Amino acid sequence: MNRFVRRALLGALSGSAAATPLLFLSTSGRLEFVVAIAAGSMYAACVPPARGSYADSITAAASLGIPLWGIASVILLPVLSGNRMAWDAVGMQTHFAPLVGWILFGASLGAILKTLSEIVTIRFGPETLPALTPSTNLSRIVILGGGFGGMKAAECLEEELGSSAFITLVSDTNALLFTPMLAEVAGSSLEPSHISVPLRSSLHRTHFVRGRVSSVDFGRKLILLDGAGTEARELEYDHVIFALGAVSNYLGLKNVERLAFDFKTLLDAIRIRNHVIEMFERADREPDPAIRRQLLTFVIAGGGFAGVELAGALNDFAHGIFPDYRNLNIEELCVTLVHSRDRILPELSETLAAYALEKMKERGVAFRLGTRLVDAQPGLVFLSDGQISAETLVWTAGTAPNPLIKCLDLPTNSRGAITVDSTLAVPGHLTVWALGDCAGVIDSETNKPCPPTAQFALREAATIARNICATLKGKPTNNFHFRSLGALCVVGHQTACAELTLPFAPTRSLRFSGLLAWLIWRGIYVSKLPGLERKIRVLIAWTLELFFPRDIIQTIELGEKDAYGAAVGRRP
Amino acid sequence: MAQLLAGDLNKTPASRRVWNDVGLGLLFGIAGGLLQAAVLHSSLLSGSLLGAGFGLIFGLVFSKQSSSAGAGLFWGLSSALLFWFLALTASMLKLGTHDSNVMLNDARGRFPELAAYLVCLGAPVGLALGIRGGVLPDSSRRPFHRSRAIVAGGLAGAVSGLIFGHWMWQGGFFPLIAGLGGIHSQFIRVILQFSVAFLIGATFGLLFQRDVRGYGSCMGWGLGYTFFCWFAGPLTLFPLLQRMPLNWSMDAATGLFGALVGYILYGLILGIIYATFDRAWIRLFIESDPLNREPDGPGFRLFRSLQWGALAGFAGGLVSGPFMFAAHVLSSVAGVATQLSTSSGLLVHLLVSTFIGMSYGVLFRDEASNLAMAGSWGWVFGLIWWYVGPLTLLPLILTGEIDWRISAASILLPSLLGHLIYGACTGSLFYILERAYTTKHMLDPRMSARELRRLRPVGTPAPALWFFALGTGVIIPLLLA
Repeated sequence: MNRFVRRALLGALSGSAAATPLLFLSTSGRLEFVVAIAAGSMYAACVPPARGSYADSITAAASLGIPLWGIASVILLPVLSGNRMAWDAVGMQTHFAPLVGWILFGASLGAILKTLSEIVTIRFGPETLPALTPSTNLSRIVILGGGFGGMKAAECLEEELGSSAFITLVSDTNALLFTPMLAEVAGSSLEPSHISVPLRSSLHRTHFVRGRVSSVDFGRKLILLDGAGTEARELEYDHVIFALGAVSNYLGLKNVERLAFDFKTLLDAIRIRNHVIEMFERADREPDPAIRRQLLTFVIAGGGFAGVELAGALNDFAHGIFPDYRNLNIEELCVTLVHSRDRILPELSETLAAYALEKMKERGVAFRLGTRLVDAQPGLVFLSDGQISAETLVWTAGTAPNPLIKCLDLPTNSRGAITVDSTLAVPGHLTVWALGDCAGVIDSETNKPCPPTAQFALREAATIARNICATLKGKPTNNFHFRSLGALCVVGHQTACAELTLPFAPTRSLRFSGLLAWLIWRGIYVSKLPGLERKIRVLIAWTLELFFPRDIIQTIELGEKDAYGAAVGRRP
Repeated sequence: MAQLLAGDLNKTPASRRVWNDVGLGLLFGIAGGLLQAAVLHSSLLSGSLLGAGFGLIFGLVFSKQSSSAGAGLFWGLSSALLFWFLALTASMLKLGTHDSNVMLNDARGRFPELAAYLVCLGAPVGLALGIRGGVLPDSSRRPFHRSRAIVAGGLAGAVSGLIFGHWMWQGGFFPLIAGLGGIHSQFIRVILQFSVAFLIGATFGLLFQRDVRGYGSCMGWGLGYTFFCWFAGPLTLFPLLQRMPLNWSMDAATGLFGALVGYILYGLILGIIYATFDRAWIRLFIESDPLNREPDGPGFRLFRSLQWGALAGFAGGLVSGPFMFAAHVLSSVAGVATQLSTSSGLLVHLLVSTFIGMSYGVLFRDEASNLAMAGSWGWVFGLIWWYVGPLTLLPLILTGEIDWRISAASILLPSLLGHLIYGACTGSLFYILERAYTTKHMLDPRMSARELRRLRPVGTPAPALWFFALGTGVIIPLLLA
């Protein structure tokens, strides 16, 4: 029997037995008797029977008698019997005897209910409690990748499926990196942990596995994880979601791949920050002006969001710490952005891109537009139209889907991303789904490819979670459609560009630039940053930044070879 | 007695403990019975028999619950109150009538008995068995931090004494020393009031540290404790200190009703300030330990509590709205405070309900582990707001003065029901929202662990507190009205 029904029946029985004092002390005994049974039933349904002793039960129920008197004798029964309600002190005093009756009813109810519960437990056994541990027949859903898409998919699946699915998230890092603020870490504006959210703590019902996927057996529905120092592990699945993201694409430039800094992970940002400080330290004791200039030249390849934001952040950081290095000349400092097209920020409108270019130039960033990076040697960066002496090269010029995709027997597009249909399922694989940077998603309404950005990945994840839920329940799935909300880019100190799509006119947008855009950028991204604690930490860091200079403490040790030869020996 | 109090501390068989408890209960019960008979000028034999009966029942039924002095005190007080109701019913049975007016007059006539039961029987028997229960070894009991109790209680007593004393001094009213006549010096009155306040606060931590959790339960305990202090102080000890005969009559109680409201408000202030110091101690020295960290940060929990509290308070306002309307509370708010119509008064009521619900969320989160418990805390919350809202804050805001006379309370008595209904609805809905969130995340072992911690161990005197606070909180204004 359902535990609440059982409790309610016991409560009704106890209530009827406990109503004796009421019958003596009230005038409308029959009505109060009915209310007493109902009250006993409702009260018992709310109280787990095993809790407490007789003393607990008697006093707790006796305390219930006082408000019950108010509700039943003062309000309900006069209304039901067609009499005037006793809505004043004198009127309430005319119900004094029922008050005592209700208190004694409560005390008796507690005692009788406790006795009956114990008898029933001995005779019929304890209540049947809902299972606290998950059933073994749950649908197993595995999410590969712990980026925006992967984490959002896990959250949505937790929401949609509750405890009816066993959700596992596999990621090679144990935290979600909030990439929009990565440049602020490289620029020493924020601490690395401020923009990372631990996946284990954030996902309450998802089982997290830190590991790298080595292969997937679609026939046996098995995912094989790399050993990484421990034994290799297999994960079975009913549905699998590929949210593996993208890696840097060096376009076959082997030397660049060997020497340049990546700018994809938290460790990359930490390395860049420490490397910049190292370059300043070395330059400060370098007597040769040419070598000093080489040390203080920072080249960023790629004029998209990542490259522009990093160039702006590094330029601010370098100028901010410059006064601490007394032997340097400001003329020797140079942050250069190399971009193959004739304008930066192709994701934004032309006017905003021009504004960004102008502002960054004013702040000291040099641009080499329409120029391709062709090669690199330690201390030298070769361009299609010349070369730059620089010890620092950061690559943000291209990305490619996770290399694991190439090893899988899945259809891919020209970019190497997994092909998905309008429901984000992989054609020919009913239980395989893909999203984000590793998937070639086509919008179902516009038939245009969706850009590999976080805002799209989040919506794709929600669609996949709904579609998996629908598939499990045998319901029709939904097509994916989403219009971009806009784009934001910080180009330097308190300066940004913002292009926000109008909700009811998707073809038109509002454009902001300068301080207002910068405030919008900060407001939007701090609100998007997962977790209240992170938000507060970031807000405190930003506030402190208004009053104190950025620190120049090196947090990781860079070797002599590593420092001088940019990234020689850094990569495996 | 010393043997009974201190003996068998190491290994007491259960049956032997029960008999020791019964013996101790009988001893203190008979002594209390004799004392109350002497005060009430009744037969010593019947007084001792009454006390023996009370001590025997308390020793058998309530002694296991009396695991500390504070727990024993509340179990004693609540059982004494229940005992008084039983005596009242027995008297009616003897008279063979159930007429409310007869019973009300009888109850008024028996008011000295109520005071005697509480002060001479319930409190001493409960305290004695509670102290004994406190020194017996029990692994299931929550640990007692003496330094925390002294520091938090002492600070709470001092700070709340200063705040309350300053507030009352402005109005020239000294409710905590209301029974002490013949003191004309304002300075001595201030010092005495502060001393009483400090004494209540300093003993609060020592008595109730194990029982209270957060702000809500501290306020509840503060409410219950100051009810008792009113009986023990202005009605009993203060006249004795002035070598005056004890007067537990209705008239004396009616004259001290203002002091009762003062005591209640002081109890609530003390509860909040004690909880602040106690929570700060827990946060700084206990929860800051990585072994005891909560899964959600305090800020996140506060935000959730405000959110759920607002929803629950709004729903509570909707349900209690018609009752408040019938009690003419809405029109008084609309008419006097805002000069708006009754419908606008309903809007004001809903707005205020939402804000008060948010305060419920902050104060009473993590207090209830089932719906019935949530409802009970809700009743207590409603009662608290009746004393704080219409009886104190509303007249203070509208007229700049407080009227704590029984005549004012009598006018406001109907709205007490609306407040109780509001509190119960808010408490229940808040629990449902809190529960839904917890159930959703229950697979997280940290959440499950927190749920286990939230369960009050068997024997905590929360039910005794509910009954004593609600019983006295409703009965006294009803009797005195």
